[in-house]
Amino acid sequence: MKIDSKKKAMIFIGCVLGLLVLTFLLALVFGSINIPIKDVVKVLTGQDTSSKVAFIIKTIRLPRALAGIAAGAALATAGVLLQSVMNNSLASPNIIGVNSGAGFFVMLSMALFPQSLFSKSVMAFLGALFTSLCILALAFFAEKSRTTIVLAGIAVSSFLSAGMNMLKTLDSDLTVSATQFLIGSLAGNTFKSIKVPAIAILVTIIISIFLSRALNILTLGDGVARSLGLSVDLFRIIFVILASLLAGMAVSFGGLIGFVGLIVPHIVRFFVGHDARVLIPASAITGAFFVMAADLLGRVFFSPYELPVGIILSLLGAPSFLYLLMKKGARRVNA
Amino acid sequence: MLEFIDVSVNVGRSPILSHISTTFEEGQITTIIGPNGCGKTSLLQTLNGQSKLTVGKIMLDGEDFLEKAIRERAKSLSFMPQFRETVPCISVKGLVEHGRFPYLGFSRTMSAEDRQKVEDALDFVSMTDSKSKIVSELSGGQQQRAYLAMQLAQDCPYLVLDEPMNHLDFEGQRNMLSLIRSLKKANKTIILVLHDINQALMISDSLVIMKNRELIAKTSPKSAIESGLIEDVFNCKIRPVDVDGETQYLLT
Repeated sequence: MKIDSKKKAMIFIGCVLGLLVLTFLLALVFGSINIPIKDVVKVLTGQDTSSKVAFIIKTIRLPRALAGIAAGAALATAGVLLQSVMNNSLASPNIIGVNSGAGFFVMLSMALFPQSLFSKSVMAFLGALFTSLCILALAFFAEKSRTTIVLAGIAVSSFLSAGMNMLKTLDSDLTVSATQFLIGSLAGNTFKSIKVPAIAILVTIIISIFLSRALNILTLGDGVARSLGLSVDLFRIIFVILASLLAGMAVSFGGLIGFVGLIVPHIVRFFVGHDARVLIPASAITGAFFVMAADLLGRVFFSPYELPVGIILSLLGAPSFLYLLMKKGARRVNA
Repeated sequence: MLEFIDVSVNVGRSPILSHISTTFEEGQITTIIGPNGCGKTSLLQTLNGQSKLTVGKIMLDGEDFLEKAIRERAKSLSFMPQFRETVPCISVKGLVEHGRFPYLGFSRTMSAEDRQKVEDALDFVSMTDSKSKIVSELSGGQQQRAYLAMQLAQDCPYLVLDEPMNHLDFEGQRNMLSLIRSLKKANKTIILVLHDINQALMISDSLVIMKNRELIAKTSPKSAIESGLIEDVFNCKIRPVDVDGETQYLLT
């Protein structure tokens, strides 16, 4: 049985990796004009650097595909971290307001300093961190029940959403760019806009994988974790900072992409189990695949219109998640 | 020897225990008994950092226990909390491996010795055959045994078990009692909280009796019965009953 579950995990990871590569290539092929796969390969291998096709791929499609990968991996990993740290299967960057916090701070920076890209990611991180520390503190001082954290998060989240809508109403220049931002969209990303956040995301995921055994211990509950010699309070803060960094970076270039952080960890747990050492990397690649695939669908199926990735994710993600929940054996999905 | 010296404990801001001093001798089973809310759990939770001392100190083998790094503490004293907020969906073996956490280096990989300790612990609680089962799907008794195995993998000379009989049926309790006895044979020092007075009287070398957040006495089970202390504290009559040559006690 042990071997079976390991095998199942490996097969799952293998499949998702395959899908990820396939989607990545498709994302470069399809668009307002379809580029033959052999031309795409030429651009990727550096044989073609100057044609019109190379220009489209390098300045539009490649950055956008990478943005999808980075955002998906970041949000899914943030979901795993938050769910474990708060011992709550409902915790996700979206639901407990970490995304709204990042979003509010980003919109504030868009209103105050419209030019600077760097301040956008810094603001997103600060917003996410501020919100998650707030929620952690609220939960700590109220009582450490699982429901309190989510309720506190929902309250904080709606407070910050009101803040965002206020900014949007007061600053009419913001309205156009903010609509995309609020739904969650990868359109218009360039190498320049994703470089810093993508590197930060990669580094943070690697650190998280490194600390995954401590995360496993933390999910045993405070009493047991302390008895095993884990500095529970220190590690809880570390993981919250890592999750905020991930969510904040993703929001800074992808806007408020919902649902990935909540469902991807659950889906992945269903296949690979609860060990964070496997769960984190598996969630990261699954999240990357989900977001990039949803973005591709939104671009291709509704052409010449484009549906933002946030809408597609919720449209497809919600029913498939419900299906998983209803399916027999789904007991292990939530815990 | 584990010594509590003049220990006071607050929970939140309200003082729960004040100026408690007692000792737990090596190689013995010492059980804390007392009516609900007498502060047994608060006292023991100072050992894993769940409750904080305001005054006093705790000495373990002559060293200030709380001055040690948390990881070092987890190598000398293991603790089974009374409540667990969650039961994980991991395999029994995965859970028991967590017992090696304090020993793992920065890379967090297990050595051959670590693996051996895990196997031994599983064997000790007779769960080798069910090591691939998922902890959250086990019965209460099996879960408790799995957690005990995790604690054994932690390989500490001192073991604290706060109400290990919680949620156990008759067979589970009998199992747990015999496991605790064999731990003593393996030279472990065991500190228990038990609700069943009869069990406490049967298994313990020494009793710490608490009531109304005060330490009433530390004494042997025999003299606790003979002096009438048990009847006094628990407001009951106690009757010795001979069961197959072993004296058990009936509280009425």
